[in-house]
Amino acid sequence: MKYLGFILANLGRNKLRSALTGGAIMLAVVLVCLLLTMPAGLNAILDHAASNTRISVHNKAGIVYAMPYAFTRKVRQVDGVAAAVSSTWFGGAFEEAGRVTFPNFAVEVEHIGAVYPDYPIAAEQLADFQRYRDGAIVGRQTMRKYGWRIGQRVTLRSTVWPVTLDFRIVGEIANDRAPHFWFNREYLDQALKAMGRPGLTIAGMIWVRAADPNRVNAIMREIDDMSRNSEAETACETEKSFLSNFFGSLQGFVTIILIVTALVALCIVFIAANTASMGVRERAGEIAVLKAIGFGRRVIFGTLLAEAAALSVVAGGTGVLVTIGLTKLLQTFATWNDTLGPLGSFIVTVPVLVDGIFLSVFVGMLAGVVPSYGAARKPVVESLHEVF
Amino acid sequence: MDAPSTAGAAPPIIVIRNVSRRYVRGVDDVHALENVSLSIPTGHFVAFMGPSGSGKSTLLNLVSGIDRPNQGDVMVAGAALNDLTEDDLAHWRARHVGLIFQFFNLIPVLTARDNVALPLLLTHLSKAERRERAETALRVVGLDERMDHYPRTLSGGEQQRVAIARAIVTDPDLIVADEPTGDLDARNAEAILGLLRQLKHDFGKTVIMVTHDPRALRFVDDAYHLDKGILLEGEDAERAAAAILMAAGGGAAAAGARLGR
Repeated sequence: MKYLGFILANLGRNKLRSALTGGAIMLAVVLVCLLLTMPAGLNAILDHAASNTRISVHNKAGIVYAMPYAFTRKVRQVDGVAAAVSSTWFGGAFEEAGRVTFPNFAVEVEHIGAVYPDYPIAAEQLADFQRYRDGAIVGRQTMRKYGWRIGQRVTLRSTVWPVTLDFRIVGEIANDRAPHFWFNREYLDQALKAMGRPGLTIAGMIWVRAADPNRVNAIMREIDDMSRNSEAETACETEKSFLSNFFGSLQGFVTIILIVTALVALCIVFIAANTASMGVRERAGEIAVLKAIGFGRRVIFGTLLAEAAALSVVAGGTGVLVTIGLTKLLQTFATWNDTLGPLGSFIVTVPVLVDGIFLSVFVGMLAGVVPSYGAARKPVVESLHEVF
Repeated sequence: MDAPSTAGAAPPIIVIRNVSRRYVRGVDDVHALENVSLSIPTGHFVAFMGPSGSGKSTLLNLVSGIDRPNQGDVMVAGAALNDLTEDDLAHWRARHVGLIFQFFNLIPVLTARDNVALPLLLTHLSKAERRERAETALRVVGLDERMDHYPRTLSGGEQQRVAIARAIVTDPDLIVADEPTGDLDARNAEAILGLLRQLKHDFGKTVIMVTHDPRALRFVDDAYHLDKGILLEGEDAERAAAAILMAAGGGAAAAGARLGR
């Protein structure tokens, strides 16, 4: 600590250069933290959205292949299953949008609440969902997008089934990120039968809630065993795994983000190392004098390295604070304006902040170590000869 | 005229025996010092003089533990410097040697007080003790009014006084000055030489100085003359001293006695 004043005084010797170098490191930390929030945000969304007791059951051949609807009842009888609901893709296009712009599914209204107890849906709205055959529960994100409100009627034209259905919005999933549109599967079943078709005999997916998280793996095994050698073998996976796979295309994007992050960090190491080298070179005379008056190699190395590290840590800490402020600002903008919605996904988690601080320390140490070592290891007489 | 003798004087603080120092500079093998032997009593003010390339700075570096000889022994303040490692030498210099340079070499971002306190960072003294000692040293050199000034706001003479304060703040056995008046005007040069002599008189310090400045002869106890790496003795030393005085425009008579001891 006794060298702190000396180190800080040296940092202030060329204020503009220190400020510019610190600014570069700070911006790099902001950039890296923002980039890292994307995978971190994705994980946070998955952690938030995915329950550790919910299981996805779908056709082993892929989620576009259906399963017999009757299989849902069998699944409910599996030991440890608290609830199960079938969910069938409707592919409904909102007439004003002209295409499918949000996910909409035919579900069993009497089971949906039991499978998604963690979804913020009012009890009376769930009751209305069961009461009205044409009722629909819609995620807040979609409600906001189209300016819908509870009680409003909307019409969806299916791109999968030969029907166009009129719905009454009876409830809302009070979650800013929820785009879902759920409606009664019997409504679709009856509409199909009214057209002389056999009705809705399939289930696109079955969502299961296990009573005990420790039983999840056993339940998944039992369900898959139950469907083995049938015409629709199933593949069970946890909700998080399912969502993660569903967003699998993002993994490549995440990899690119991480590569860019590493390159940004490397660039900053070079910038900081250049600054540290210039600083050491400019002060070669002073360093020689310090050695001559008795500053040992360890002290010289330590103080020079501490200078680089101190600048980087201060810049990194500022960068982290700026990141927090910036993401809060982006989230606020995203709330005001739906077109900025993706910006709201910048979620600064504690690990991201730790990564930012770690990066700045790493940059400081790496940038400082070579010039500091070079200055320290040279014998005092050589140092003096070079400058005097 | 013989080289300065130490007969009847205080015990030697510096004993140099058969010291040689050679450098390789490019393709040249430079013989900076050749078989030099001398001893300097404690509490003396001594000058190493000679033309550029004579080896006086090399001798100063050996005496102050900055450099090591290729051959011979250097004993200073009871320590055999040849036996010490680079780190040990740094530690030894911090405790036993105060260094003064021609161009002052103060740290521009530190005040006079902080510059003086710099060597004390290597001690176990508290911040308050370091501050107190630095202020005392600045008072000794007459700069008690300029403690909070940065080097750029001080004159050359004042900067050299700060450098002297930095050299004495650890209360070293030996003060070593390399051309301390080389970058000063006549008035400041005399003042600095007087201050170095005062350190010897008032505090009993041994002061070793490399200089071209003939004025130094009026202040020092002994002057050693070197030429081409060889310590001059007898008539050679006398001729070298006379040449310095002639070049300076006289004063030989005033300085002759000193050189003749």
